[in-house]
Amino acid sequence: MPDIELLQIFQGIATMVDGDPVIAIARIVLILLGFMFVYLGVKGTLEPLIMIPMGFGMSSVNAGVLYLSATSTGTLFIDPIASDPSQLMDALQINFLQPLYTFSFSNGLIATLIFMGIGTLSDIGYLLISPVRCMIIAICAELGTVLTFPIAVAMGLPFNEAAAIAMVGSADAPMVLYTSLLLARDLFVPITIVAYLYLSLAYAGYPYLVRLMIPKNLRGVKMDPTTIPNISKAEKVTFAVITSTLLSLLFPVAAPLFMSFFLGVIIRESGVKPFVDFLSGPVLYGATFFLGLLLGVLFEASTILDPKVILLLILGITALLLSGIGGIIGGLLVYRFGGRNFNPTIGISGVSCIPTTAKVAQKEARAANKHAIILPWAMGASVSGVISSAIIAGIYVTLLR
Amino acid sequence: MENFWESVNLMIFVYALAAVVSLAVAWIIKLLFGVIHLKEKRAAANNPAPDEASDEPSGDGEKVIAEGTS
Repeated sequence: MPDIELLQIFQGIATMVDGDPVIAIARIVLILLGFMFVYLGVKGTLEPLIMIPMGFGMSSVNAGVLYLSATSTGTLFIDPIASDPSQLMDALQINFLQPLYTFSFSNGLIATLIFMGIGTLSDIGYLLISPVRCMIIAICAELGTVLTFPIAVAMGLPFNEAAAIAMVGSADAPMVLYTSLLLARDLFVPITIVAYLYLSLAYAGYPYLVRLMIPKNLRGVKMDPTTIPNISKAEKVTFAVITSTLLSLLFPVAAPLFMSFFLGVIIRESGVKPFVDFLSGPVLYGATFFLGLLLGVLFEASTILDPKVILLLILGITALLLSGIGGIIGGLLVYRFGGRNFNPTIGISGVSCIPTTAKVAQKEARAANKHAIILPWAMGASVSGVISSAIIAGIYVTLLR
Repeated sequence: MENFWESVNLMIFVYALAAVVSLAVAWIIKLLFGVIHLKEKRAAANNPAPDEASDEPSGDGEKVIAEGTS
């Protein structure tokens, strides 16, 4: 029987013992963090759709480190830095998630698939109730997306990375992923994880912000449902085609985002049920699942040791907080100058995550006045928020790529 | 420091441009649907016959379909 070293059999442990102790500690921390994400996802504290695959991927990749040669270690999950064609061919044949990463993640396909799914869930008829008021709120709710940019520069980030982290203020994680892939490829993993992590937490925090900034009597302002116009499917499709074409003409770098979102909208309004079911079911949930899994396995120990991660954590929460404040200010402005018959709580839904912020607004209005129904207007502000976020992403990428 | 002020200028530019484009989109949509609804109203005013007919009781199946599809 040959001499057998136990540690050579259990290579996940051997690579911890042999390697840099800082890396070993970081791996243990990430394994535990992964467990925590899974637990909080299952419990419902964090978004389960993304946190369960992400947390499990994070734990698995940091446990499954092995010796690739006598001098190097690695995993059989993904090689994110493989770019040379022969190196990439090797990686595609060895790493089991490499095909998904190379052909759907690193080119932004997965983000656009999610956008198509979001499009099928978005009734843009709500935006057409009052497009100008909705858009004013949406622009105010981009406060974090723009104000965080100079703050990040002041904290030492270059312009492209500052813009990528500022996009967290848009509260639209697929958009953050898409923008950071184009602007800050080295940081897209931590930025996207920060975005998903904070989005789960922000929705728990936004109700407090609403109660803090809007007096109870204003939160309970009733909206007149008779002002909701009857908008036909043909009108909604016309709107989607014109807006998508116009925005793609203005910002070609963000054209895949515009096209994907409005394609989802058109499919929804066309009523082709098999396509609607396909995009809002398998495509949306499949893309979300693999996005979470890939983000998790990309979160290796070296990522958390990057000193910029702490900075990203601070800037991410700053961006979301400022956007929430901006949205509420927008709601208050529309209330003040729009005849005082507008519920300012709708402002928070300008922070564009369909339909969560709209639900937050409705819940807060209902808590203040049980007869207050504001969901249609809140959904309109959320859809406007998606459009204004894509416009800002387009401007940032055009100027800074 | 120079970088910071440059980023402040850029921020103002980005915000202003985004606001102008977003509001332009909103106004285009508003005008577009204003025109569509105006045309619909004019068409309804010029051709009131179907509405009057629908007020009258009728056993005609074709009229019921016409109401449903209008």
